[in-house]
Amino acid sequence: MTSLSPRRRGGRWRPWLFALPALTVYVVFLVYPAVSSLWFSFTDWDGLSPAYNVVGLDNYARMLDDPVVLTAGKNNLIWSLVTIVFPVTIGLALALLLNGKVRAKPVLRLIFYAPGVLPLVSIASIWGWLYNPQYGAINSFLSLIGLGDLAQPWLGQDSTALWAVMVPAVWLRTGFPMLLYVAALQSIPAELYEAARVDGASRWRQFWHVTMPSLRSAHYIVLALSLIDSFKVFDMIYAMTYGGPGTATQVMGTWMYANVFQYYQAGYGTAIAVVITLIAIAVGIPYVRSQTRERAA
Amino acid sequence: MTSVTPITTTPAVAPSKTERPSAKDTVRGGLVLTVVTGVVAVFWISPLALLVVTAIRPLSDFIGNGPLSWPSAFTWENFSDAWDIGNFATTYGNSALLLILKVPLGVLISAMLGFALAKLRMKFRRTVMFSVFLGLTIPIYIAIVPVFIMMRTAGATDSVIGLIGPYLAFGIPFEVLVLQSFFRQLPNEIIEAARVDGAGDWRIFWTIVLPLSAPALVTVLILDAVATWNEFLFALILLNSDANKTLPVGLLNFQGQFSNNTTGLAAGILIAVVPILLAYTLLQRWIVAGLTAGATKG
Repeated sequence: MTSLSPRRRGGRWRPWLFALPALTVYVVFLVYPAVSSLWFSFTDWDGLSPAYNVVGLDNYARMLDDPVVLTAGKNNLIWSLVTIVFPVTIGLALALLLNGKVRAKPVLRLIFYAPGVLPLVSIASIWGWLYNPQYGAINSFLSLIGLGDLAQPWLGQDSTALWAVMVPAVWLRTGFPMLLYVAALQSIPAELYEAARVDGASRWRQFWHVTMPSLRSAHYIVLALSLIDSFKVFDMIYAMTYGGPGTATQVMGTWMYANVFQYYQAGYGTAIAVVITLIAIAVGIPYVRSQTRERAA
Repeated sequence: MTSVTPITTTPAVAPSKTERPSAKDTVRGGLVLTVVTGVVAVFWISPLALLVVTAIRPLSDFIGNGPLSWPSAFTWENFSDAWDIGNFATTYGNSALLLILKVPLGVLISAMLGFALAKLRMKFRRTVMFSVFLGLTIPIYIAIVPVFIMMRTAGATDSVIGLIGPYLAFGIPFEVLVLQSFFRQLPNEIIEAARVDGAGDWRIFWTIVLPLSAPALVTVLILDAVATWNEFLFALILLNSDANKTLPVGLLNFQGQFSNNTTGLAAGILIAVVPILLAYTLLQRWIVAGLTAGATKG
């Protein structure tokens, strides 16, 4: 038990004085708005007029018939998968490289994490420019290496737009798993590898039987945080494609935004937000529980 | 969660000389690895490098010779153009003001809550912890409609001040998570000793807990500053006039205006990102420490 004994009887309420400022802000600006969105999702409110009707589950039923919701849901799923699998795999590979006898490690580490500190809007600007069909570096590079036939309007056509938006996402999200894995790799005792070598284990076997099991808690944290983060996708898509061309890159977050602020269907928009938030909470609960559990001090 | 590795049963024995690669091989192996990693790093940083090269050349040179050519002339004009048209003096000022008002306040109230959770016997402690940490999973867009209405009612839209509340609320879960786990590691004996000497909780918090937690506080301050500086969605819906926009929203406007002026756009993007890249380079140690805090403990 890490807590201290209370100084006097009834002292168990006094700590609330320390908790209150943060809890008040948290309840007023996060909990209350979230619950209030749940309420709006049962109404036909347009977001402007003072009055609205309660329509029960109509908004949710309507989502089933909305082809854009289907597209957005599918895109969210692809987004989560791709922006977890690639950053985690590349991040682990880079961490293994950086854990070897590489020189200039601090500089390399600095470079790989750098995109992670940039505002998402600036990343969208940078890549929007790289993808520019006329003056973009990517098409120029393809021409330069003799693959000019592959040059295309990456962000401007349905077939490539979603993938083109995910590339910068992978670029910016690879640094975080790399940092975690570098830290975790450094904490594996060298004796384990020595022992494995004595037993004649190849590099490959050492990786699977020493490295990977030792990284278990790092894997867990990386995957949990990446998964939680992947449901929040909004900024990048809003700033790069605004969900387009057509609805090719819509995700639940941007489709919600469009419904509320463009089509004045706040009730329907909040229903979309509620669905994706409930999924995000459900997926995040195991991680939250693991962080709440008492750890032996 | 302690990781158990299957090989620990084998006693650790130093391998004989023949099994160990020779010193020469090791040096060569290190060189090869360095080159491989270096090439990946160059590739990784190339978008930013290209941005710099583009920003310092005249537009005509860029259009004439293509984006991948080396500039035949250099100029600083792109920066002055971008600075004026992009309204960066204003957006920088607004973002800085927000940072100064929000970040220290957020860390202070999160530290207070973290202290109560970690070191005080608080009623409903576990429930509070679970509810606050659950906030990590909540996307901002679930809150934007009610927050917008709330701020409009309070007359706080189109003002940086109106962003403080929502920013604080969405920052609290992460800050509390990191801080309370750090506070938990402080020895109880020190706190009990202070209590015996007659120090109250408030005094213990300020004179013992906070000073002993300086590394964690600095890390949380920096990470929260980065998140605050970069936040986009609340700023997008709550700020209307150019005079009140923060850097990310201002950059988005700027991007629209400069879509045909590639070199000016590159300069504007650089103006927006260079300060944060510099800060990141200088404060790297703290950022890495904070991000990896949870990775190595079991």
